[in-house]
Amino acid sequence: MTQTDILSSLSSTYSDEFQRIRRQFEESRDSGPVLRERSYLVDRVVGALYEHLISAEPGGPAGLCLIAVGGYGRRELHPYSDIDLAFVCANAGAESVHRDATAAVLRSVWDLGLRSSGGLRTLSECRTVLGNNPEFAIALLDARYLGGDPELFTALHDRTLPEVIARERHTLVANIEELTGQRHKKHGDTIFHLEPNIKDAPGGLRDYHVARWLTEIAALDERGGWAVPEDLWPQAFSSGARAAFDFLTASRCFIHYRRERDDNHLTYGLQDQAAQERIGISAADELSPAEWMRGYFRHARLVDALARRLLDETTRSRRSLMTVYEDWRSRLSNTDFSVIGGRIFLRQPEAAAQDAGLTLRLFEMVARHGLRLSSEAERAVTEAVPRLEPNLRELAEVGLSLQEILLMPHGAQSLRVMHQVGLLGAIIPEFKGIDALVTRDSYHRYTVDEHTFVAIQTLHDLEAAKRRPAGSEAPEQGLSPAESRFAALLGEIERPEMVLLALLLHDLGKGSNAGDHVQAGLKIAEGVLARLGTSPEEDRSILFLIAHHLDMSSTLLRRDILDPATIREFGRKVGSVERLKMLTLLTFADVKSVNPEALTPWKADALWQLYVSTANDLARSLDDERLTAADDAALDIGGELPAKQSFGPPSDLHGFLAGFPQRYLAVHAPGEIIEHLDMAKSLDVAGVVVRTERQPSYWALTVITRDRPLLFATITGVLASWGMNIVKAEAFSNAQSIVLDTFAFHDLHRTLDLNASEVIRLEQSLTDALAGKASLAAIREEVASRSASLRPPRNPVPAQVRFDDTSSAHSSLLELVTADRPGLLFDVSYTLGELGCSIDVALIDTEGQRAIDVFYLTSGGAKLSPEREAQIRTALLQLLSEPRPNPVSAVPVTAPRAMADEGREA
Amino acid sequence: MKKIEAIVQPSRLDSVKDALVEIGISGMTISEVRGHGRQKGHTEVYRGNEYTVDLLPKIKFEIVLPDAQVNAAIDAILKSAKTGKIGDGKIFVSNVEEAIRIRNLDRGEKAI
Repeated sequence: MTQTDILSSLSSTYSDEFQRIRRQFEESRDSGPVLRERSYLVDRVVGALYEHLISAEPGGPAGLCLIAVGGYGRRELHPYSDIDLAFVCANAGAESVHRDATAAVLRSVWDLGLRSSGGLRTLSECRTVLGNNPEFAIALLDARYLGGDPELFTALHDRTLPEVIARERHTLVANIEELTGQRHKKHGDTIFHLEPNIKDAPGGLRDYHVARWLTEIAALDERGGWAVPEDLWPQAFSSGARAAFDFLTASRCFIHYRRERDDNHLTYGLQDQAAQERIGISAADELSPAEWMRGYFRHARLVDALARRLLDETTRSRRSLMTVYEDWRSRLSNTDFSVIGGRIFLRQPEAAAQDAGLTLRLFEMVARHGLRLSSEAERAVTEAVPRLEPNLRELAEVGLSLQEILLMPHGAQSLRVMHQVGLLGAIIPEFKGIDALVTRDSYHRYTVDEHTFVAIQTLHDLEAAKRRPAGSEAPEQGLSPAESRFAALLGEIERPEMVLLALLLHDLGKGSNAGDHVQAGLKIAEGVLARLGTSPEEDRSILFLIAHHLDMSSTLLRRDILDPATIREFGRKVGSVERLKMLTLLTFADVKSVNPEALTPWKADALWQLYVSTANDLARSLDDERLTAADDAALDIGGELPAKQSFGPPSDLHGFLAGFPQRYLAVHAPGEIIEHLDMAKSLDVAGVVVRTERQPSYWALTVITRDRPLLFATITGVLASWGMNIVKAEAFSNAQSIVLDTFAFHDLHRTLDLNASEVIRLEQSLTDALAGKASLAAIREEVASRSASLRPPRNPVPAQVRFDDTSSAHSSLLELVTADRPGLLFDVSYTLGELGCSIDVALIDTEGQRAIDVFYLTSGGAKLSPEREAQIRTALLQLLSEPRPNPVSAVPVTAPRAMADEGREA
Repeated sequence: MKKIEAIVQPSRLDSVKDALVEIGISGMTISEVRGHGRQKGHTEVYRGNEYTVDLLPKIKFEIVLPDAQVNAAIDAILKSAKTGKIGDGKIFVSNVEEAIRIRNLDRGEKAI
């Protein structure tokens, strides 16, 4: 037969058989026979070419053999995958004899339309190949005899390779590690792609092979012989890995047949078909594409964990004792854990199953230092989870521990690992509902669980970027000007852990089949929070955030955010600036973690615009948004009370609430409101009710009294004369002219902390001053003498005074920005009082050293005249330009001074 | 062939898109843009800082279509984008010389 005849006969054999194998797959959906039979088919084709072009003699010629390597060597040929061949000859002499014939074989394989690669190498080249061609060296691990000199093959396979691999295993493992690292990086280091490449993405087939190679290398090293890697895998993996392999190969065969080429991209279209045709699954019921993909992710996760674990173990065995001791992270070791090479080990792995606290501390440590779990620790925790599960749900410290983890710089990574080992699902079983759950639209990049972790990470990234000094960051880590505004906002909120908890729970509703994921999620979150032991007030914040997590996005996309009516309506829904800030940050993180490009500068700007307009509107609309006795909102209070404590007839509550701004309900929990009501009831006897309380980061003062002139100046004056720095306050007055003031202040000189009796004296001096027993002039002198002893501020903030006569129907708004200092509020409110103004409302906030205050002023019950405004402006600018002191040893203000004050003065 | 570029309020995105689809136009390019016309933006003072929003967020539609469809498309956009307020946007119509489908080299109206 001529060369052409042979090629055409082989070609028709190949294509007939190829079609037969394909038909078989279409019927059985089983990839095993495809992989095997295609490799037997190629064996036949290549064998015939070898016979024709090199030697028809069995086992001939001496000194040359043909081997299959890579996937073909393993007998795993997918329908369109490449055929990797190699000729090996005994010495350079044989090489020159056979060069042309071997090239002709390889060319003919190409001519048959089979994509192949291969070359001719001497045995000694195979010995040195490790250093200069790592890919070929790895391919040789799967070498299989096809034809030629069997003794030569035995020499290669049973002597040369084991010897070389044992000698060079460190280089080889390092190569595998490096190639794997590069490949993972190319695929974003996550298994969670909505259209994954099932060969190369993390958790794909290539990672399965990485696990095999590493095991083969270890076996050659330890036993000096070849092994079946699957037999040596840890019990926990072996059956799962087999199932994952079957699923992945079936899917890959399916993609190849549909695309008719070596394409490994599992696109949406292919996912639909694969689910419909039940590729890789035995389920009798039809699966939705999302459910089918969930199966994919579970398999990929196992393969990913297996490959990482084996890489981890082999890498560690490579490290010398010296480098271990030198590792700075080992300084992090303590009695429970040791830290080696950035990996954390349990000193007593068996203790994990008994001690839930230990397991939680392990993840706190991961979250704090960004460590990785050692494979032993991972295994110990994975095995401990089922036994810990009943305890975890009852343990009071679980909720606190979870908040700790959320707040730490590597919290997102720690949660991700907790999720992988099943711990997060044990603490929050509802999390299992969004495990590997796919959101099927091209806008979403991640599965729901991964989106949650990325969102949490997004807030930590903001936090980290904020801490870097300006100009020092690498460009890719830098924040855009728009983003740095959100970073500043993050510094202003009091309880970032509330936003983080809300983010953790915000999409749990997607795991239920209910139509509206927000409503479903709220129900789930309520249950979760009840177990985590959060306070009712915290629950209100978190549930509010979850309930409204889509509102800002939809407002800025569907409504006109330049329309004051849109802003007013939105502000009413949110209620307070603190909540608005939290919701803005939650929205920022949520949108940004849909996909890396989802938060366009356009959207970031619009979100900021919506925030600023709403914040301003909330500050300017207090006057017009007041509760009435018939307000339905008031009726809800009783129902929301935790212990259903009695508060007398509802009319008492309604009478008390009437006239308070809507904001009062937004910033006070029902329990607090009832306490205020009780205090107000004793007003007829006492005249003034004062209560002081120590809070973790500040002192809290509540004052209830009847309205009177200069009330606000008197209280701020007494506090200033005691050397207290007000950081937060609210004052509300109702229709019965009962004024309720709550202040948070810092005790700069620790007077109250060190002398318990001084607390009573402070309360007494407030009561006396409000009862008119101390003159305001005396208080003023006291404040002035205290201020004189303080140093002037280092960075004076130029004072700005602005009036706004349009926002409120009843009052003129004064907006004041100036350097913050103790006594400032007293000085300003005293000056305003002297100029004949009543303070209706005040909203006071601080940003670092700047005080940002808004006062609602009236004079004789009406808005201020332009002349009066000019007079006030001059007086205030003069007051604020005087060299005034700053606290010598100011307590660092961790919480922002978000102060709202309101006192309706006669 | 003509190209219609329509700058509209972000809040009208869905209604304009639906109106175009309804009259049988399915191909369009939509971008988030910022800019200003006579509506010069506004200044917002927040915490003592002035934020001048001089470039306002808008949505731009770009559609290339056969001459016969142009008027219907303009009507659809006008009806769906109008709120009656300043800043409702503009429509620009221009001639298109050639259209080529990259996949199969179709040219002219066949390619759009």
